[in-house]
Amino acid sequence: MLLQLLVNGLIIGSIYSIVALGYALIYNTTRIFHIAYASIYMFSSYMLLSFYRNLNIPFIISFIIAIGLTILLSILIEILVYRPLNKKRSSLNVIMISSIGVMIIIINMIAIFYGNETKILNPNISKSISIGNIIITYTQLAQFIVSLILIFIFLIFLKYTKFGIKTRAMRDDSILCKVFGMDINRMRLMFFMLSAFFAAVGSGLVAYDVGMDPYVGMPMLLIAVVALIIGGVGRFEAPILGGFIIGILQSLAVWAFSSRWQDAVTFILLILFLLLRPQGLLGEKKRAV
Amino acid sequence: MNEDILQINSIKKSFVRNIVNIIGKEENERFFIIDDLDLQIPRGKITALIGGNGAGKTTLFNIISGFLSPDSGDIMYQAENKQMSVIGLLPYKITRLGIGRMFQDDHIFHDMSVLDNMLLADADDFGEFPFISIIYNKKNKIIERERIEKANSIFKELFGEDNPFWKKRDDPAKSLSYGQQRLLGLARLFMGNYDLVLLDEPTAGVNPQIINQILIIIRSMVEEKGVAVFLIEHNMKVVLDLADFCSFMSHGKITAFGTPDDVIGDDEVRRIYLGV
Amino acid sequence: MNYIFHIIIIINIYIILTVSTNLLVGMANLISLAQAAFYGFGAYLGVLALMILKLPMIPTIFFVMFFTALLSLIIAFPSLRLKGDYFILATLGFQLIVFTILYNWVSVTRGPYGIPGIPAPKLIGIIPISGIIPFLILSSILAGFVIFIFYKLVHSPFGRVLKGLRDDEIAVKSLGRNVTKYKILTFAISSAFIGIAGFIYASYVTYIDPTSFNLDEAIFILAAVLIGGTGNIKGPVVGAVFVVILPELLRFVGFPDSIAANLRQIVYGLALIILMRYRPQGIAGEYKLQ
Repeated sequence: MLLQLLVNGLIIGSIYSIVALGYALIYNTTRIFHIAYASIYMFSSYMLLSFYRNLNIPFIISFIIAIGLTILLSILIEILVYRPLNKKRSSLNVIMISSIGVMIIIINMIAIFYGNETKILNPNISKSISIGNIIITYTQLAQFIVSLILIFIFLIFLKYTKFGIKTRAMRDDSILCKVFGMDINRMRLMFFMLSAFFAAVGSGLVAYDVGMDPYVGMPMLLIAVVALIIGGVGRFEAPILGGFIIGILQSLAVWAFSSRWQDAVTFILLILFLLLRPQGLLGEKKRAV
Repeated sequence: MNEDILQINSIKKSFVRNIVNIIGKEENERFFIIDDLDLQIPRGKITALIGGNGAGKTTLFNIISGFLSPDSGDIMYQAENKQMSVIGLLPYKITRLGIGRMFQDDHIFHDMSVLDNMLLADADDFGEFPFISIIYNKKNKIIERERIEKANSIFKELFGEDNPFWKKRDDPAKSLSYGQQRLLGLARLFMGNYDLVLLDEPTAGVNPQIINQILIIIRSMVEEKGVAVFLIEHNMKVVLDLADFCSFMSHGKITAFGTPDDVIGDDEVRRIYLGV
Repeated sequence: MNYIFHIIIIINIYIILTVSTNLLVGMANLISLAQAAFYGFGAYLGVLALMILKLPMIPTIFFVMFFTALLSLIIAFPSLRLKGDYFILATLGFQLIVFTILYNWVSVTRGPYGIPGIPAPKLIGIIPISGIIPFLILSSILAGFVIFIFYKLVHSPFGRVLKGLRDDEIAVKSLGRNVTKYKILTFAISSAFIGIAGFIYASYVTYIDPTSFNLDEAIFILAAVLIGGTGNIKGPVVGAVFVVILPELLRFVGFPDSIAANLRQIVYGLALIILMRYRPQGIAGEYKLQ
């Protein structure tokens, strides 16, 4: 029983990791508290719903379309909302509040068009394989494998490509980067595209498993934020580590208490780390005060 | 009673830089911006601190006023009857002990009125605890009136009967000219009770007329209130004109100390700092 | 007519919420997402006082204020050390933890089943306050009192310290003021009065459950403050009126209830975006968010 839960935790942890990565791509580079990310995540599931279930387009193609549309949405938000504020040199608080506004609008528009109830992508029971006493559904397998592939590709890209190096440099000082000739606006667009890509993939994989409702984005956003904090803000390995930790700890919570307290794990981790180790597991001791 | 108001002993301060270098490798490097610094600040006199940009002068000020902690070393402050260490105290406590500060970038309250800038600098903080001013309404009114009078007389004393500060007292501080803002930063120090005042480049970026005013104000602080002044300056004329003592900082230490003439005339100082 | 009185009562409750929240958000520039936690805590404390301790109304009010302020200290002490983003996150975490406890600790709070049949608070222990007119009077008196108190606070030396805090915290520290102390006090005062709003809500509606005090509500209260305006007293009042009246207007215009709720959220979202872009001090506020 425990082992099954741990495996489940590991698998959902891999999803948390890529979703957290998508969030980190924005926060580490622009410092924006990108709350609208919750709605970008949720948007992908609903696009998948429309094309796959309502228009009966084959799953893979629907998925690609959904990812594309989500990326488009993310770019729109950057161009229409964040960039003008950035030009005005608005404070991060102002940008965050605008982000909340964006999130509210998207969530409620989806709710108006699709309704508030939970919608399902896959009405059938998923097939599964068993390893010993452990049962893993095909969906879970897909979640795990796709996530790992994405993580792997991203890490390679980060360390060895020119763009990856620029990304890591922007984390430290974006003004200096401008001096060295990096086109900040273009890089930001790339970040918003990549970020949405990760969110969209994670969203689709989860929606196929458990369905969706207009509010699924918020707990995911919170997990992404907590994963970043646990891992340590600044390094991209951090959200990956954080995602897996949260996934596994949630499973442990289910085993030790009940599924009711699963979410509490996330919040308690958040508070514990903020108070005791705000630099995260991998970060250095920087002053958070 | 001790001659020195501040004794700085063996202060060390280092920073770790985490950078992404040009080939994309991350590295950490630790460097000591203050490396075993000793200095005595005499009571009631004006001591200047000179040195190249980035030499660590402002860092030293930050350590003295409690915004940074040193890696090691101690700073002893000679208050009333006893000597005490200021290391590890919060900035507001150090201020309450009698050490005032003027920053390199002003830190005046730009969106608050000129008068409010002075009132918030008052040594007496009666009424600032919430509801006290409502409960003790009459006493609060009296004290507020006294505060306003105090600000008015400081403006008059420093800037003359017909000064722009009192005239603009209800205007936001950001409506003052840059030079006037600097003067305001100095003026508000008169609202407090200080035995030592740290001034970080008070004359930077202002025209000669304002520089003169600043010199007069600083002298008045020392002569009339007996305040010791420790100031960072790049303007050698000001140092020669104003300071009783001068200290030269380089490589994280004080490498020369004496009268301004002595220090500025020193060969080593001239070589390193003045490029002569 | 009763309908209009009901709207006024709700406006009064939200005035208390927004004016109190503004002390933290607009005066001290500490953006928080914990307000609904204190709102809910105040409501449940009020129920405790009325149903179990059977306190009369005035002691209930003090009871709620005191313990809500105490609760706020639990979150204030640790999180006020944190910078900007981290502080908001800590308040978010706190909001969620309080909600989870209210929702899941069924043996104490009855969780999602809620608490029905909340009795009328008794003025001087004898006169029950229940029904539209008495609550209209009670809520108006309390709202008026809150406006008066906070107006005095904002224009007192304490208010000056808060203005200094949001302008330049380092300067305040170097002038000998204990910044952390004032932030904690602001937090406590703000949450104490938010708790009162919870108590009024609980005894007026006579039924509460945790879903009225979730993260959505916290964002809603924050949005009301931001839209109405930060940094003074009339801003939050305008905000409270705006967010309560708007859905009624929408209903008037004829939108079906199911869509109306979502539609008004969209209006709030748009208002936030447009205001942050063109008028960050809100409709009637005087402090542009930093």
